[in-house]
Amino acid sequence: MSLAKPLMRGLLAKRLRFHLPIAFGLAFAAAVAFKYTVTEPRKRAYADFYKQYDAVKEFNAMREAGVFQSVRPSGE
Amino acid sequence: MFFLNSIIKWSPVASRCYSHGKVETDEEFDARWVTYFSKPDIDGWELRKGMNTLIGYDLVPEPKVLDSALRACRRLNDLASAIRILEAVKDKAGPHKDIYPYLIQELQPTLAELGISTPEELGIDKL
Repeated sequence: MSLAKPLMRGLLAKRLRFHLPIAFGLAFAAAVAFKYTVTEPRKRAYADFYKQYDAVKEFNAMREAGVFQSVRPSGE
Repeated sequence: MFFLNSIIKWSPVASRCYSHGKVETDEEFDARWVTYFSKPDIDGWELRKGMNTLIGYDLVPEPKVLDSALRACRRLNDLASAIRILEAVKDKAGPHKDIYPYLIQELQPTLAELGISTPEELGIDKL
């Protein structure tokens, strides 16, 4: 029983033609998933925090705590 | 992702993305390599260079190209390289396990004539 001639050329090309689009697709999907599960919540969290942020109030709290060198707590 | 497919040329040999210039056919490619190894006074360097270049392509060499290379080994009294060529093409086939048995079947007359043992016959195909 003699063996038939198999395909011997372009085997890597054939494999890549199939797998490369999948690889790029998966990488792209991973990036999209990361964006919407990590970066967008983070950006929202920062935005929400700073929406109601009173810089002067925070400054005074820090001043009273005595962490600045340029201004002393109001009592002294 | 989609532009990548047009940039990569899906041809087996190292070809540039010329828009001009004829693309070599498979038969011309094979004939060129048969001629390369058929040089009567080929030297060891040319044999090794030829084989290494050939193995770099995205194809398993045709039986007639391998036949020419094995005969070059015979002219150089280099049995080691002849057996190494067989190992190399088996590795080159990768996961396609039907290629190597086919090549051995086609090369059987040459292997018998030149007295070349296969790695399997020598037991060196197993780790």
